[in-house]
Amino acid sequence: MREMNEKEIAFIGKITAGVTHEVNNVLASIREISGLMTDILSITDETSFPRKEKFQTSLQKIQNQVQRGVKLTSQLNKFSHLSDNNKTDVDVNEIIEHLIFLTERFTRIKNIALQIQPIDKSFTIITNPLLLQMAVFNCIAYLLNNMVNGGEISICPGKKGSECSVSIICKGELLDKTSIFKDSSSSEELLSVQSIMESLDGVYELDESNTAIIIIVPGNK
Amino acid sequence: MDEYRVLIVDDEEELVTTIAERLQIRGIQAQTATDGETALKMIEANPPQFVVLDIMMPGMGGIEVLQRMIAQNLKIPVILLTGYGSTEQGMEGMKLGAFDYLMKPCDLNNLIGKIQEAVKNL
Repeated sequence: MREMNEKEIAFIGKITAGVTHEVNNVLASIREISGLMTDILSITDETSFPRKEKFQTSLQKIQNQVQRGVKLTSQLNKFSHLSDNNKTDVDVNEIIEHLIFLTERFTRIKNIALQIQPIDKSFTIITNPLLLQMAVFNCIAYLLNNMVNGGEISICPGKKGSECSVSIICKGELLDKTSIFKDSSSSEELLSVQSIMESLDGVYELDESNTAIIIIVPGNK
Repeated sequence: MDEYRVLIVDDEEELVTTIAERLQIRGIQAQTATDGETALKMIEANPPQFVVLDIMMPGMGGIEVLQRMIAQNLKIPVILLTGYGSTEQGMEGMKLGAFDYLMKPCDLNNLIGKIQEAVKNL
């Protein structure tokens, strides 16, 4: 597959940002219309509206789904703006939490829990946020492909001198324990991580004993 | 809350008319406009006690409506509605003189709370 250039990524980001804005307006309208129905029901006599309670419960479910939609579009909008800056201040814990929210669906399908275990409290580095998320995502994808259903992947961001390290640790059962890191050089995901690390002046390491992939990036790139 | 007369301005017609209807159920008189130019004419003709203004609208946006209200010395509290990517404009609006800003979709009770707070301070 051909790699995308910055202009193409910016184009996707811009269109996604615009559409999430529109979807948000749709959600706002659904929220108010279902809210109006709830208002009307609340001033309607029980005897003149059969199964009123069932309608009220259903309207509450609509409101809950709207809330879910608002959260998803809000996070997708945030993601669409990651390509706005090639080099910016990045709160590492925050950007990992954002990635976890966006990738939850991939891990849920395999019934694998994805969680952040920050080593350090909030810390900031200067880097490319999109590439950092992409690198971590590819590490997650590599572990997911090599894990059986169930288990957990922990992501541990922390400071390492002037650098930032992010350990992506498999805490579940592997499909084939002997080959996960032996055949890694042919993995599309890890080749992508390698290429991203070159762009960020970083490196990645495979920690066989802890079944982890560690990304190390400079704090000021 | 019968004494309150509110103008809600947003280019999403279904959204503003529904918010207006919900406010009316709660005893707040609410009028609507779907563009900045119409809103300004309505404000000039019959100033409401409170204005809710969407920042991002085709043509005259919420910030420009606010600036024109200030230029005409129309001292009416304004709540700005911001979407993604326009939070900074919400803060800019507050610097200009807006009472507050809320992120869309906003909670109706939250909006009513802001209206009461602003009108109380008049």
